[in-house]
Amino acid sequence: MARESLLISTLVELADNLVDNFDVIDVLTVLSDRCVEAIDVDAAGVLLTSPEGDLQFVASSNESMRTLELFQVQTDEGPCVDCFRSGNAIVNYALANSETLWPRFTPVALAHGFRSVHCLPMRLRGRTLGALNLFRTEQGPLTGDDVVVAQGLADVATIAIIQHMSSTDARTLNDQLSRALNSRVIIEQAKGMVSQATNCGMDAAFARLRTHSRNHNARLTDVAQAVVTGAIEADDLDRVAASK
Amino acid sequence: MASVPIDRLIDLYEELVRREQIEADPPTLCVVAAEFVNVSGAGIAILPTGGGMTSLCTSNGMAQELMDLELTLGEGPSVDACSADVVIAEPDLNSPQRHGWSSYAALAHAAGARAVFGVPVRIGAIRLGAMCLFDQRAGSLSEAQSSDAHLMASVVGRAVLALQAGAPPHSIADELAQRGSFDFTVHQAAGMVAVQGAIPVGEALARLRAHAFAIEVTAPTLASRIVYRETHFDPLTREWRETGTTTR
Repeated sequence: MARESLLISTLVELADNLVDNFDVIDVLTVLSDRCVEAIDVDAAGVLLTSPEGDLQFVASSNESMRTLELFQVQTDEGPCVDCFRSGNAIVNYALANSETLWPRFTPVALAHGFRSVHCLPMRLRGRTLGALNLFRTEQGPLTGDDVVVAQGLADVATIAIIQHMSSTDARTLNDQLSRALNSRVIIEQAKGMVSQATNCGMDAAFARLRTHSRNHNARLTDVAQAVVTGAIEADDLDRVAASK
Repeated sequence: MASVPIDRLIDLYEELVRREQIEADPPTLCVVAAEFVNVSGAGIAILPTGGGMTSLCTSNGMAQELMDLELTLGEGPSVDACSADVVIAEPDLNSPQRHGWSSYAALAHAAGARAVFGVPVRIGAIRLGAMCLFDQRAGSLSEAQSSDAHLMASVVGRAVLALQAGAPPHSIADELAQRGSFDFTVHQAAGMVAVQGAIPVGEALARLRAHAFAIEVTAPTLASRIVYRETHFDPLTREWRETGTTTR
């Protein structure tokens, strides 16, 4: 698909998702997936600020451990932390030169095959809520258009968080952030249960939770909650349709 | 906001450590909560597995009175925060906006409270209880107060978990100071252990935490072994076993 039509369909898909009772983690996961398709990057993820002031992973284009490990390290140091603290975008940062800047993050990122990072702040009225992280396996710079698109998608992520407030009982932005982060924890607990009950990996467990929520038109977090409380058996989720 | 949350977290730990040196443990969490969020008083109610809500601690006499009232009547900010899993705010008990507190609102007002708030204490799907905050003046929490209340509730959650896992009370502040929050490997591992042992996730997380204490590793280190299927919880013997094989 041409880039313009891909972008338009992405925005339409996200707008369609921002209706009543949407699941914020699900929408941010869709957004991360679309970043990889619409921009010349290989992995994307969203981190939000926690009550403790550190950054927590909430969604990514890839549930595999290798990408998640990067987000893990990022909660202590890395481009996302710097972007979050300063509120300024970091674009086209070559990891080969970042050893002294991020001594823990850099070797992990390089070992996972990434060569450059980009990080766009999620800002609202002077406050930075989190950041959109983009990893590339290539060293070369993103085009100016890509950077504009990426910041646009980071802004959509911010809108998703704000929009979600009106569809839940959250009264304040702090309540809303806390709720979004807790949703992610519920999903991680459910992933562990599904992984153990069906002897699959964590990314396959996430795919089953997501498939089940789509098939039953239920929110991802509600499906995860039902698994954790036993309302749905962990080995009784819909299977992911075999891909071609 | 007045300060960066991470700085507030350091303030909170320093205050906890200072107080642990001069007082018995559980009440200090509530005293610190009230001072930290800058309200007249605070109480923490926990929800034991299979039981009703129980008071863990209160910061002063009025906080105790409000907690007793709430637990006796079965209605109020902690009860609602815990059951609805959202922050509850009643900024003016003189003309309450909330419905359903037919007795609590008037009696809490008579006890001297003008504004009450309930903040859920939870770790994912595990509902541990709620923190009640009250003020003798009417009014909503400011943005800084609400941010501090969430931070405090998160710290209370980890403190309750550490207590459940059998950590000595005097070590709670050290335990909390180790890390801002758990990484998600711990939550995945808790889910796996719940299925292995056919136990609720809350119990699985407490057992995981207790085992990490016992073998002197961090919770994320143990969690990582569980996720890579090197360690598992045996449902028959209720003991932890090393698998020996690794898929790492």
